[in-house]
Amino acid sequence: MTDASAVSAADLFDPPAVRVQRRTASSIVAAVVSLAALGGIASMPLWATQGQIRDVVELCCYIAVAQMWNLLAGYAGIVSVGQQAFVGVAAYALFIMAQLWGLNPFVAVVLAMIAPVLLAIPTYGLLHRLDGPYFAIGTWVIAEVMRLATSVFGYVNAGAGMSLRVMASYSATERAVGVSILCALMLLVTVGGSYWLLRSRYGLALIALRDNPVAAASQGVAVGRLRFLIWVAAAAGTGLAGAIYFMAQLRITPPSAYDPNWANIAIFIVMVGGLGSLEGVIIGALIYFFADRWFGEYGATYLVVLGLLTLFMALFARGGIWGLICRRVDAPWFPTRRILVEDKR
Amino acid sequence: MQWLDGIVQGILLGGLYAQYALGMALMFGVMRIVNITHGDLMILLALTGISIASAFSLSPWSVLVALVALGAILGLLLQRLILNRVVGADPLPSLIATFGLSVALQNAMLQVWSADTRSLHAGGLAQASYQFGTLYVGVLPVIVLVTATALTGGLDATLRYTRFGRALRAASADVEAAALTGVDPKAAYAGATAVAVAILGFAAVFQSMRATVAPADGAFQLIYAFEAVIIGGMGSIWGAFFGAMVLGVSQSIGFRIDPGFGILAGHLVFLLILALRPQGLLGKD
Repeated sequence: MTDASAVSAADLFDPPAVRVQRRTASSIVAAVVSLAALGGIASMPLWATQGQIRDVVELCCYIAVAQMWNLLAGYAGIVSVGQQAFVGVAAYALFIMAQLWGLNPFVAVVLAMIAPVLLAIPTYGLLHRLDGPYFAIGTWVIAEVMRLATSVFGYVNAGAGMSLRVMASYSATERAVGVSILCALMLLVTVGGSYWLLRSRYGLALIALRDNPVAAASQGVAVGRLRFLIWVAAAAGTGLAGAIYFMAQLRITPPSAYDPNWANIAIFIVMVGGLGSLEGVIIGALIYFFADRWFGEYGATYLVVLGLLTLFMALFARGGIWGLICRRVDAPWFPTRRILVEDKR
Repeated sequence: MQWLDGIVQGILLGGLYAQYALGMALMFGVMRIVNITHGDLMILLALTGISIASAFSLSPWSVLVALVALGAILGLLLQRLILNRVVGADPLPSLIATFGLSVALQNAMLQVWSADTRSLHAGGLAQASYQFGTLYVGVLPVIVLVTATALTGGLDATLRYTRFGRALRAASADVEAAALTGVDPKAAYAGATAVAVAILGFAAVFQSMRATVAPADGAFQLIYAFEAVIIGGMGSIWGAFFGAMVLGVSQSIGFRIDPGFGILAGHLVFLLILALRPQGLLGKD
């Protein structure tokens, strides 16, 4: 009896030599490639043409909006079909601050993130009363309310929209430098920030929430508060993408700012690329970007195919392309797993 | 007088919205899913109806019979091919599947019927009206409201008193327990969706007789149906009906305040009710 307790006490004080390994060979390669890509995007004015910069800005905005939707649907279990509300409200905030109040537009882009946060807080308060699927349609109503309210709001020139004329006071190079650095920052905040979040202890809570909200709550995860925080954070990230996108567009109207197509894009990218993974968003965004370039000319037919592909993915391949890849090769780019490795004594 | 007219016209408009909302309330009650193609299916039925009416020179009433039958078939297909695979506690699969289908359907309709707005020729019915003092009430909107009331009453009675209705209610309360007592959940689900889309057949005919339809309109009808259901109170068939009246009156009054404010007024009343009485007007506490 004394012997047995002595052994367990010894085990307690001398734990087996293990450590938690989080890095993999593939993640080191991916980290290097990601940093190089960020550097490449920030230094675009040095190597890219105006047209290429426009394309990359667009691609970065798709990645950011899709990743924010992924955080909501893939981890927090919130489905939104009204993310365009945050795109539009942040873009309008930028136009108001830069064009009407005379703030530096590059500073205003960052400040514009306050607007979607201010919208997200009461929106959540209202909509969280609704059951899952009804929450989703509720977000659409919010986006419609924003579009209709903006269309009758004279201060922002109502339905006629606004132009960002202050950008004319900057040279083409200055604008390219500003927008390139903002794009790199946006990816760092949305994708890098999500990765950091998923690796932190909040990440553990989020993954528990994704797998089973009831079980997560029983383990001490504050499910309601976590969902609220993710909802607000996703609104801020989506808004940043909207502000940068419309800064590059230089022109905004209520139908373009609150275009439901933003939700379509985010859902398509995440569902095709892979729900609940950072890798999937990047794959999905690249697919959408090139599909749009190559097949966009077929208009409605192309959108029919996009819609059917989303339907097909929801029915048969919920993990998306990244899920299919993961079944064959185990080489995560952004691993969030903790692997216990035993050291030889 | 202007406001009384607004309320009367709003209630009549609510008759149309009730026809959108009933199917959504039924499907959500039974399966806990929202079919995002709800509005698009209505538009598909309406455009099909307009096309067959002009091809075979049918009267609106024969079109109505054809569309209700077609709606039931579409509902069965939708349930068998798609919804049965995504029904479950997680709202994501059903939302995404029907969202994808909605995008595909809208654009396919755009290819077939182009972006033009169309309507169904209603003969003299479109102009006929009753006069009460200075108040004019269209005959067609009254028919729409009477039909909506009959549909609501019929659906409510079906749920209460028929074997099929009991199976639906059992499946909505607890699908596993219902299966144990001999209810086939798949048959109940298929029945619910078939009834829901068949009711859209009525909505399709009346929408295209009263106003116009275009391929991209489905999203708005989906939102109106949703708002009516939430205003009235989730899970209540008569709630959806009264919710539709409240929505119709709010929009109608809003339009009289400012033409740009009509739809927005409906949304704002919806948000107000969500804030003050989240269980809906007829919902239980």
